[in-house]
Amino acid sequence: MGNDTDSRLSQFRKGVVELAILALLHRGEAYGGEIVERLAGHPGLAISAGTVYPLLSRLKKSGLIDSLWRESPVGPPRKYYRLSAEGDVEFTAMAKAWDGVTDAMDGLLGKEVTR
Amino acid sequence: MNASNPEPVRGLSDASAELIETYFARVHSALLVSAAEECEEAVEDLREHIYEELSGTSGTPVDVARVLGELGTPEALAAECSAAATGGPRLAPAVRDGRSPLTGTLLGMPYELRLPTPERVAQRWWDPMEPKILVPRVFGLGWDVNFGAIAVRLGMIRPDDEDVPFGSVPEPWLALSALLPVLVAVAFAVLVALYQSALPPQVAVHWGITGAPDRFGSKESALLMPVAMTLLGLVILGMAWLRRRPPLSRVAAGALATMLCSISAATYGQQVVTAYAADEVGVLLPGMAFGLLVTFGLFVTLARIGRSVEMRRDLEGTSKKGSV
Repeated sequence: MGNDTDSRLSQFRKGVVELAILALLHRGEAYGGEIVERLAGHPGLAISAGTVYPLLSRLKKSGLIDSLWRESPVGPPRKYYRLSAEGDVEFTAMAKAWDGVTDAMDGLLGKEVTR
Repeated sequence: MNASNPEPVRGLSDASAELIETYFARVHSALLVSAAEECEEAVEDLREHIYEELSGTSGTPVDVARVLGELGTPEALAAECSAAATGGPRLAPAVRDGRSPLTGTLLGMPYELRLPTPERVAQRWWDPMEPKILVPRVFGLGWDVNFGAIAVRLGMIRPDDEDVPFGSVPEPWLALSALLPVLVAVAFAVLVALYQSALPPQVAVHWGITGAPDRFGSKESALLMPVAMTLLGLVILGMAWLRRRPPLSRVAAGALATMLCSISAATYGQQVVTAYAADEVGVLLPGMAFGLLVTFGLFVTLARIGRSVEMRRDLEGTSKKGSV
């Protein structure tokens, strides 16, 4: 029973995490460790390195983000990620869809719609 | 593995044991019908595991029925297994979303009954993006080691250093991964040429942890197993290269071949040492450790070469075009 709950939660988190990464990169480019760390700062998302890196790789393959090695101000060069033009369009669309979903869900869950 | 005979009931009630036996008898007869003997061994492991976990517990028929229920009906399990083995129409959707009985966890231990593909083997051994060091076994029951996770933990690489594992590594460097097992195989052949005729007719074929022999056999039969293992490794390696598999698969084939060849050479070396030197000199364990270390070193070295190629491409590219 607990297992089912876990797998359901991880099902819907998967989609959310993708949007979370796009949102983070929409604010500016970042390297892998930085993305992991900043997302880990939102415990509600329950995102670990094991989720972030494969997602970055998938987003890159689908062309929504680019990566580029660059000198880092401290230490060795790092691989930085940023939104591609396509990713920018996708993010805007997804963010809009997300608003719709949260409004609807807030209603269904009986919460005040604050928006 | 277990010294005790699998036939007795092992602390389970007769009714519980009968449930398990009936279930696996049906799986086996279904496998016979579909001529998918490849699955037999893994299915046998599964049965052993169920016994081991349930022995000593109360293991009521209800518990047993629930555990077996997770595997689906015996016929469905056998059908999926044979479909996967023969490459026939596999139940694709169920397999893909992970609800197939062919792969999952049983009593806390992961199992995998789909036949391994080179790509899947490669991905389990070198998956730096996956932080877990122990990953579900490629085929059968238990776990495999993810060298990628170890390299990341040790700070030798970062998970996303390479876009595609070994994808940017120049071909000559990739060839190093094929050369390595060949060198070990050659060393093994040299050992055989030097010592085989001089070995006594009876040699040790099995050793305890300290290196003391505990089983003996004729020197000809003792050579058979190491030679077969070496050849198997070289065939797997050859196939991966002839079929121009992706770089990760070719490197993994090289890693597997290196391990098989090292274990073979070490087994033979141990026979020689046992015959000529003190009983207590262990070659086998150091030999296996060597195989593992060299394999790990190979993975890490290639990953770092791939990273530096990527890095050079980006850094030089940007310095020409100016900053981004």
